[in-house]
Amino acid sequence: MTLLIGAFTLGAILSLLALGVYISYRIFDIADITVDGSLTFGAAVASILLVKHGMNPLQASGMAFLAGALAGSVSGILQTRFRINPLLSGILVMTALYSVNLHVMGRSNIPFLGTVTLSTYCEQWGVLWFGATETNLWGWTVSSADLTMLLLMLALVGLVAFALWAFLRTDIGTAMRASGDNPQMIRALGGNVENYRIFGLAVSNGLVGLAGALWAQYQNFADVQMGIGMVVWGLASVIIGEALTGAASVGVAIIGTIIGSILFRQLVAIALSFGLNPNDLKLVTALFVFAALILPDMMHKLSKAKQPGVA
Amino acid sequence: MNTHAPLVRLSQVYKTFHAGTVNEVRPMRGIDLDISEGAFVIVLGGNGSGKSTLLNAIAGSFAIDAGRIELAGHDVSAWPEHRRAGLIGRVFQNPFSGTAPNMTILDNFSLAAKRGRFRGLAWAQSRRLQDELRDRVRELKMGLEDRLDTAIGSLSGGQRQALTLLMATWLKPKLLLLDEHTAALDPKSADQVITLTDQIIARENLTTLMVTHSMQQAVNLGDRIVMMHRGNVLHDFSAGQKHRLQVEDLLSRFENVRRRELLDESAARLLRSRYI
Repeated sequence: MTLLIGAFTLGAILSLLALGVYISYRIFDIADITVDGSLTFGAAVASILLVKHGMNPLQASGMAFLAGALAGSVSGILQTRFRINPLLSGILVMTALYSVNLHVMGRSNIPFLGTVTLSTYCEQWGVLWFGATETNLWGWTVSSADLTMLLLMLALVGLVAFALWAFLRTDIGTAMRASGDNPQMIRALGGNVENYRIFGLAVSNGLVGLAGALWAQYQNFADVQMGIGMVVWGLASVIIGEALTGAASVGVAIIGTIIGSILFRQLVAIALSFGLNPNDLKLVTALFVFAALILPDMMHKLSKAKQPGVA
Repeated sequence: MNTHAPLVRLSQVYKTFHAGTVNEVRPMRGIDLDISEGAFVIVLGGNGSGKSTLLNAIAGSFAIDAGRIELAGHDVSAWPEHRRAGLIGRVFQNPFSGTAPNMTILDNFSLAAKRGRFRGLAWAQSRRLQDELRDRVRELKMGLEDRLDTAIGSLSGGQRQALTLLMATWLKPKLLLLDEHTAALDPKSADQVITLTDQIIARENLTTLMVTHSMQQAVNLGDRIVMMHRGNVLHDFSAGQKHRLQVEDLLSRFENVRRRELLDESAARLLRSRYI
């Protein structure tokens, strides 16, 4: 049960990353590798603010959002003002961020021992809400702190998801979606496609930075390597979500992405408990996304091959 | 603003694409053109005559090399495309160009309702917009009024062009640019869209610049014809002249141009063989 709660919590945290990837991948149709750097950047900024400056964990998480947004806008500026290929822009910013992150953190790993973080909050709130350090959940004994952490993260994700949904339905949010769908059209309607791209990538990577900060607080350390391969993770979540919900509208797509992230984390937890070597995790994730990308095309070809009479 | 000045004025506008390469094209070679307010101008010309380039230059799709473009009293020569969009409504040749295919009809119109205006954090789809849109779409008689939540990409080309036209004129534009907007449609849809075009332009009294390949449309619509050839204005028929024009007259003008060019080339060849 503890394992399950842990997987749920991490899945919820990483759904913020998945929502960020949803913006870049589905709205702007680019695979934005900036994510790999901005996740760590968010975690790095939050960890320094928490450990060195003793900042309030929620404030520190907010700063992580801004840090991620900064990284995203740099990527956006490279793509629009300097007309660098989006994939290359992402690679450049991600690579640069690796050094930046090391500078921010001062070393490659920062443990949160004795630091006040959301985890510490949850330990206190857990006792407050459930009356003891352990509580009964449908017959299982679980740690109140873990349960509180899960509830807190679900609430936070719900809040962010609602804000994102509302934003995408405002004038500027709608224009941003259109700029990814048909830039020529939105330009003819007076939209500045370049600015929308920069702003959209800022929001996208802001969410990723926030996910990084929450993840670090959940696992009680920040590591300079924690962002590696995370864009693929986000893609997997988005793709699972779409397969499950069909993504008919923005709201459905957002909910699907969150479900996709949580489900994917569950699958990983199950695979690990059945003896999957953790070292193979990235390989398996990449293979999964590869399969998800080529499957629709393959099935299309197969269905055609079965009807030889049809030209 | 001087009310006597034309709404649109192009003075000595030049544009060369791919300059200095084998692909060099010069679609604008010192174009001068005045369009007065309320005029409905038809632009005719063969392939590569520069007629679409003329529209794109006014809309700001690219920066011109030299010259000056004035629109509604502003020198817009240096304005980016999205800034000029506040004054201009556009319909493209390709039905896929004018709408965002994966977004709903309502989404698309909520964007059109803010053409050239500031877009902030206000709710994009107001109840008022929905009601007004349903009424206007019902007038199209295409049965789309109950499908406002459908993605526009699932509609036919004719439906999309009709909607694009409605979007381009949702906020009354100073200038409406139609770039062969029926060329990609089947004859029946093309007729529908042309009828709608005529209605909207007449009702809103829109200043319009319409490029077409169809001589019939050129004769039937508008009150002035501008014939383009090799990046310049070849003929300019005013309302009075246009009134007497037949399709055959237009065709013969094109034929003249073609002959003259053939003559030019054979003459050049003759000269080359004599003197080189």
